[in-house]
Amino acid sequence: MAVEFEPRIVGFLCNWCSYAGADMAGTSRITYPPNIRIIRVPCSGRVDPLLIVKSFQMGADGVLVAGCHPGDCHYSEGNYYARRRFAMLWPYLEYLGIEKNRFGVEWVSASEGKRFSQVVTSFTNEVKALGPRKAEALA
Amino acid sequence: MIEEIRTKARELLESGTVDCVIGYERATDGINARPLFVYDAAGADRLIFDQTCTHNLVKYLRNRKDKVTGIVVKGCDSRAVNLLISEHQIEREKAYIIGVVCPGIVETGWNKKSDKLRDICQVCRQHTPVVYDFLVGEPPASEPEVEPYPDVAAMEAKTPAEREDFWREQSSRCIRCYACRQVCPGCYCSECFVERLDPLWVGIRIAPKENEMWNSMRAFHLTGRCIGCNQCERVCPMNIPLSLLNRKLEKEVAETFHFQAGMDAETPAPFATFEKDEKIGIGE
Repeated sequence: MAVEFEPRIVGFLCNWCSYAGADMAGTSRITYPPNIRIIRVPCSGRVDPLLIVKSFQMGADGVLVAGCHPGDCHYSEGNYYARRRFAMLWPYLEYLGIEKNRFGVEWVSASEGKRFSQVVTSFTNEVKALGPRKAEALA
Repeated sequence: MIEEIRTKARELLESGTVDCVIGYERATDGINARPLFVYDAAGADRLIFDQTCTHNLVKYLRNRKDKVTGIVVKGCDSRAVNLLISEHQIEREKAYIIGVVCPGIVETGWNKKSDKLRDICQVCRQHTPVVYDFLVGEPPASEPEVEPYPDVAAMEAKTPAEREDFWREQSSRCIRCYACRQVCPGCYCSECFVERLDPLWVGIRIAPKENEMWNSMRAFHLTGRCIGCNQCERVCPMNIPLSLLNRKLEKEVAETFHFQAGMDAETPAPFATFEKDEKIGIGE
């Protein structure tokens, strides 16, 4: 029996906006795919590119980073720095052979439970469409 | 050219302007060049400069912070000086820079040299040093117009799966000697991420995945900082094309932020600054 591919997605959510947004989705009883494993971080600026590459190296099928909308950062400017780093990391990952759609950066605020659900759903579907990473086989 | 360097070095050492001049001398095989530290005027006659002077000597400046040092730099090396000044690793006053208009460096091996310019020198757009106290040689009227990233473009034309295989094959050969890091003027962290045990970013074992983590993140840490001297690739004992990684990021930084590392010491590096309203394709 063929089992449908369920991707493993690592989600780095900023404590102040996106994590609260995920919480909002939960308390509002809005469903989203269970493929995402959420890791709470203080700020999207905390997400070192090392964390993302390491996630991929250890077998993640996708990595989603979510933080406050630009201008709303709890620490004023963390997400501006994050934005620049990810703008360089994204094409670089593709250059290393990790398809563009496997890495996502989204801005989700604390009140956007509905949006969080939509973001995770569409991201999961994109990764599902790409299939598993063949890197799995590697030691 | 050589005579000019020697005269200048002698003059600097005799007057006491500098404590030491770092330059090149002939290696024991009679063909290659090797770094030379000159401490007295008499030693200045050993200095040379030709197309085999491949090393980027700027790496040594950081170890001589308290003393004024004379240093021989080529076009690409001079950008490393600016990089280290902008990152507060060295002081401009502590370096006396003897800039050399670089004719391009040829490929060399032990006991042999070819007439072929290094790949990186074939696409060079910075033959004249960007910073110097004394210039040797006649700067060209204008830098050549060349397509700077033909190798990167060729890699980009492949499919992601092909690239993944390519990098896996390259990384599988890496022996993690870290020569690429040791030679890099931009790699000066006292504790490198690769030596961290908690978190263990790169596993201890020499396996393709761990090597890939190292090679890719070494290059990423030089985003907007790599000055393109290509020393990492030169010293790699396994001939891994490391510059393909660095140059990809260099290209992205140039396209997105219109920035080239080390061209001056004032412009902040792309990751050290931001603009609130910029549109750079993230979360839009």
